[in-house]
Amino acid sequence: MKPPLARAALALYPPAWRARYQDEVLALLDDSGGGPAAAASLAWRALPAWFWPSRHLHDRPARMRASLATALVSWSMLAGLGLVFAQLTQLQGFTAAGHPELRWAYAVFDVTLAASALVAGLGGLPLWLLMLRLARREQRTRDTVYLLLPVLVPVAYLAGLIVTVRLVGGADGLSPGWFGVVTLAGFGAAAIAATGPGVALRRLQPRGPALRLAATAAGLSAAVMAVAAVAIVVAVTSLTLWARQFAGYHNGTVPGIYLALVVIAATVTTVSAARGTHAAWAQP
Amino acid sequence: MTDRLDRWADPPLLVLASLADEPKHGYAITQDVAETMGVRLSAGTLYAVIARLEARGLIEPLESDDRRRPYRITLAGADALAQQSERMSRVASVARERLSTRLGWAGG
Repeated sequence: MKPPLARAALALYPPAWRARYQDEVLALLDDSGGGPAAAASLAWRALPAWFWPSRHLHDRPARMRASLATALVSWSMLAGLGLVFAQLTQLQGFTAAGHPELRWAYAVFDVTLAASALVAGLGGLPLWLLMLRLARREQRTRDTVYLLLPVLVPVAYLAGLIVTVRLVGGADGLSPGWFGVVTLAGFGAAAIAATGPGVALRRLQPRGPALRLAATAAGLSAAVMAVAAVAIVVAVTSLTLWARQFAGYHNGTVPGIYLALVVIAATVTTVSAARGTHAAWAQP
Repeated sequence: MTDRLDRWADPPLLVLASLADEPKHGYAITQDVAETMGVRLSAGTLYAVIARLEARGLIEPLESDDRRRPYRITLAGADALAQQSERMSRVASVARERLSTRLGWAGG
């Protein structure tokens, strides 16, 4: 029986690292006994394994593709969290007298979200078109569908949203219950839309300058998005502390959970994109 | 203070030194380092070091039928170990000489 703590700690490592070393580490723990100290040491070393992936475990294109696929999903989740933030704060007109940092945070968020989306879109477009040509040339219908998901799913979601608002919306818009439903549906739609190109990346295995450009753009886009995440943290903290009319958030639990999700999504996006950018620019 | 100085024991160097005579697998390396150099390498540290040394071509894995894969030092690894050993030897020599001048310490 393997020590459960050590197994959990090994789960924190990148998949390529686990594929290469997990069995050996488990054999070592079998021989030496894997107590909490061994689990702690493994957990502590997992973070550097993500930030500085071992070069010999990946070829560079595979590293870029894996990073792009992960960053795309986490970026979408972060953008979704950002849109929820915008909907519940600045679009509702919440301010805090004597705290200009709130308005600054709103402005920074708007600019950085737009810039991040623009950079990701422009940088990823050549790769997306390349994969689309590849899939069509080889008549890979399933991959074509995967690649079109980022277009089809948002259109379907928006159509569903418009119908929902017309059917169940009142004079003040959607009730909190329905707002929760469409928000959750939005996250689901974003996840599906973002997963499509990731799957296509794994199946089609593109290489070349377009992949390098996309990985670089993802790094830049993630860096800009991290600034948006900081703006969200500043704004939500400011609202919670100083805007008591910020209905429903008085006890701090909801903003706390929300900010934790923002930090997790921003961290995953930044780390994944940084790994891809590093692979794009590393010496062969 | 002595405990803090122990951190100077560089894990990659310890692993290279352990592999200098013959190939060893992970557990054998930790045992050897503990017995001969007095340093206990945790599983996390050991495999972080193995991954780094392997990426730099200083050690290489050998074929193995079971999960206990042995590693051996490469020529580049032996060269790096020799250079570092020489450097450490010079530091040790200077330290001994100056301590003996100042405190009459004879070493041991």
